[in-house]
Amino acid sequence: MSNDATGSSVPSGRWPLLIGQAVIALIGLYALLGSLKLGLGSALGPGAGFFPAVLGIFLMVLAVLWFLQGRATPTEQTEAESFDGAQVGAVILSLVILAAALPFLGFQLSVFAFLMYHLGFRARIGWVKAVVISLCGSVGVFYLFTTVLHVSLPVATLLPLSMIGI
Amino acid sequence: MKRIITAVAVGALTLAAAGCSASGASTSNAGADFPKNGKSVELLVSFSPGGPVDTAARLIQPVLEKELGTNVEVVNKPGAGGQIGYTSLANAKPDGYTIGAVGSPSIVVIPMDEARGAAFKREDLQPLARQVVDPMVIAVQADSKYKNLKDLLEDSKAKPGSINATTTGQMGGEHFAIAQINEATGAELSPVHFSEGASQASTAFLGKHVDVLVGNISEVIDLQKQGKAKVLGVMDKERAEVLPDVPTFSEEGYDVVAATARGYAAPAGLPEDVAKKLEAALQAAIEDESVVSKMDNLGLTTSYQDSAEYGKFWTKQEADYKKVLPLVQAK
Amino acid sequence: MDVLNELMMGFAEAMTWQNLLFAFVGCLLGTVIGVLPGIGPVAGIALLIPLTLNLDPAGSIIMLCAIFYGTTYGGTITSVLLNTPGEAASAITAIDGYQMTKVGRAGVALTIAAVGSFIGGTIATVGLVLAAKPLGSLGLLIGPPEFFALVVVGISLLVALAGRSMVRALISGALGLLISMIGIDPVMGAPRFTFGMDRLLDGVSFVAVIVGIFGLSEILSYRPGKNQTVTQTPGLRALLPTRTDWKRSTPAFARGTGIGFAMGLIPGMTGSVSSLLSYGAEKKFSKYRNELGRGAIEGVAGPETANNAHANGALIPLFTLGIPASPTIAVLMGAFLQQGLTPGPTLFAEHSTLAWTIIASLFIGNVLLLVLNVPLVGLWTSILKVPYPILAGLILMFMVVGAYTINFSVFDVFVMIIFGLVGLGLRRLDIPLAPMVLTLVLGPLMERSLRESLDISHGSFSIFFDRPITMVLLLIALVIVCSPLLKLRKPAALVAEDPES
Repeated sequence: MSNDATGSSVPSGRWPLLIGQAVIALIGLYALLGSLKLGLGSALGPGAGFFPAVLGIFLMVLAVLWFLQGRATPTEQTEAESFDGAQVGAVILSLVILAAALPFLGFQLSVFAFLMYHLGFRARIGWVKAVVISLCGSVGVFYLFTTVLHVSLPVATLLPLSMIGI
Repeated sequence: MKRIITAVAVGALTLAAAGCSASGASTSNAGADFPKNGKSVELLVSFSPGGPVDTAARLIQPVLEKELGTNVEVVNKPGAGGQIGYTSLANAKPDGYTIGAVGSPSIVVIPMDEARGAAFKREDLQPLARQVVDPMVIAVQADSKYKNLKDLLEDSKAKPGSINATTTGQMGGEHFAIAQINEATGAELSPVHFSEGASQASTAFLGKHVDVLVGNISEVIDLQKQGKAKVLGVMDKERAEVLPDVPTFSEEGYDVVAATARGYAAPAGLPEDVAKKLEAALQAAIEDESVVSKMDNLGLTTSYQDSAEYGKFWTKQEADYKKVLPLVQAK
Repeated sequence: MDVLNELMMGFAEAMTWQNLLFAFVGCLLGTVIGVLPGIGPVAGIALLIPLTLNLDPAGSIIMLCAIFYGTTYGGTITSVLLNTPGEAASAITAIDGYQMTKVGRAGVALTIAAVGSFIGGTIATVGLVLAAKPLGSLGLLIGPPEFFALVVVGISLLVALAGRSMVRALISGALGLLISMIGIDPVMGAPRFTFGMDRLLDGVSFVAVIVGIFGLSEILSYRPGKNQTVTQTPGLRALLPTRTDWKRSTPAFARGTGIGFAMGLIPGMTGSVSSLLSYGAEKKFSKYRNELGRGAIEGVAGPETANNAHANGALIPLFTLGIPASPTIAVLMGAFLQQGLTPGPTLFAEHSTLAWTIIASLFIGNVLLLVLNVPLVGLWTSILKVPYPILAGLILMFMVVGAYTINFSVFDVFVMIIFGLVGLGLRRLDIPLAPMVLTLVLGPLMERSLRESLDISHGSFSIFFDRPITMVLLLIALVIVCSPLLKLRKPAALVAEDPES
């Protein structure tokens, strides 16, 4: 969605594209097989599996069409964006760890660590600033939501932490 | 105060407290501080907004907030005749922060039918309180050629399957009512399932896309007032106080009695303290004078039952509907 | 004129200084709360209901309307500034709104959104005053078959959202439909594609999906050093729309109002359908359709106007039929019930003054939305002064909060993460995201109305061809689908003029 796809990021080789097409065809196949199990319907009209089956076939056809299109015009200029593997890895991994930690460590502690990682370690905005912002973002947001807005956020369930009610 | 009979019409939904021992033992001490400050209680409504289940839930919401001392959010999760909402209620954590408005027979029937593949059993829910019992009625367009019940049913016999009637989803109360009518009278009304709830059904009826509305008293009372529907019969033993001119089915010579009961339930296994608090708050809200009078205005007569009674009510319904289940199963 | 007199009486009732104060406070609180993740109109109103409990009916309903307008607008603010839609109705605004933010035009987007909401809301309310009765019965003409045909028209707009590759747009649309089918089948009750997870029986949460594919994938595709221009802080002058902006927005306002109002009349349509259809219409009919997706003002003006016109139009079925057409209207209906009023035609007969007071308060709410939010646009956009790396960290945190609070479960956080990766993959393959959002919203509606139609016709598809409205709608869909084929024969000279190529 960003405007940065000006040409410097033209994918090297067509492999990513081919993999994408294969994945979409496989999703279509999965949908088709899954919906056959659900039953396509009776004389009274389509059943639970009718739409997914149609969509599955449709997706497979589209993937093939796309593949053929790509072969016809191999130099097709796309707006596809490339991305920075390190950024993706760091963000996804930190989010997964955060989500996994939330129910155990509670919102305040895990979000504090999460923000410290992103602000202090990755963005390097200076430790004092990072600590202050992380505190606001974790403890501050927690109290804003739970006491002011009556929206509950996770609290720690691990023993030493749950004792002090973080 | 209206008569108890009318009260039966309002839907009651709770599950029997008796059957709910199973899952929540681990959270035994969790109840003492319920509801925690700042934690809102979600009240799941398994039907679309505007139907009787939703209306009743929204009416008790503020009293419930006052009684529990926390926010109560009414959340609609319509679809599959209530199954989507019920499933999500049954799968919620039994901590008291998720409760649901439920209607029977759907709540007892959905888990009974294997073909539906319901991901919950009746025992996964624990009843809290019944609020209303709402008898079924059958209504036609105000300008319909059918003057009375007999006209309609005779015509339906003559043209089997060609007259459509609304339901609020397969195996909902309306579907059973239609099946019972067909069984008892030899008519052949054809059900059209509006699986999101009563407001979709009455919209389609108002737009004359479906000729016959099968619903509860509370749904037709306003339509009748506006001159948009002609109520032909009440499926109850006695006439309804709010519809004094409408004969019952048995007066017309058909033995059909059907009603929707509505109430409140929680995922099974609530800590005892929490269950008690919720039950008390619900009782206070359901029996609150202003709530009762607002419900009366809508044709919903309050018929409170506590969790134990409501559980028994559920069990009885389960037995009753087991017998008629084949009538509504796909051929 | 009787109507005018009664409306004036309504204004007289509504315009006490207390009521105005309530409305002002409600609108302000609503906006602030709407900006926070995970709190949309429904939760926002539930949160603030205690404030209204002890007010008289007019006061409490005025305040609720104001809160409602405020929270809705709050959702737009995050869509535009942070590319993280707070709720379904403003999801599509994120596409062009965020692109505008990237080039320093956030203020313009927010101002236009506020003005569009005001225009859409006000015109729809005028419609309510002038012709509630006939319009209400117009909505009833839409039975299940017509509803189905209408959804088909919506899906046909996919081709408008296609950009350059129809195949990729269709893939995006088909994936959206498949995702919408996860969970319990809305008719028969059979669980589909739940991978054995109970959490998925309920379907994947729409908000988690859109936050993932828009907001998270945006952050994931950030490349240090490349996106220097990202989120420029607009200068003071750049806060205000230029004359060109106004000129370009006007047709979008008009189309948005028309679409939103018409959809609002139909029970069962939600505001997000209106904003999506309006976006599709801009893509199809706007003079500047080629700029859409790259920060065109129409992409903000249309949908934002449409969803507010929808919200106000949806009051017509509530007032004339007693049917709440969408979840947010249901909240308002709850307020009526609290006050012991039955929404419906009897309201005007039995509580005429109050009914007109409520209508007057809708006008007041719309005006307040405008006078409160336009001056605040500068304040909101100053969020962007925060350096991007810090902002990104905080946005991530807010997205986690937003996803978590949908069901108070970490599950939705994982759903969001997965869809962030899906969004990244789609961007990598140059598959457009808008069609997916469109079908994600329309899929369940399509399936349900098809089943209902076939129930009515006892299984015969002829029902779609012997009803005039259905027929016309399906023909419109056909024309829309075929229109790109016609365009293929566009003379090469014209293609060359295309600013895109």
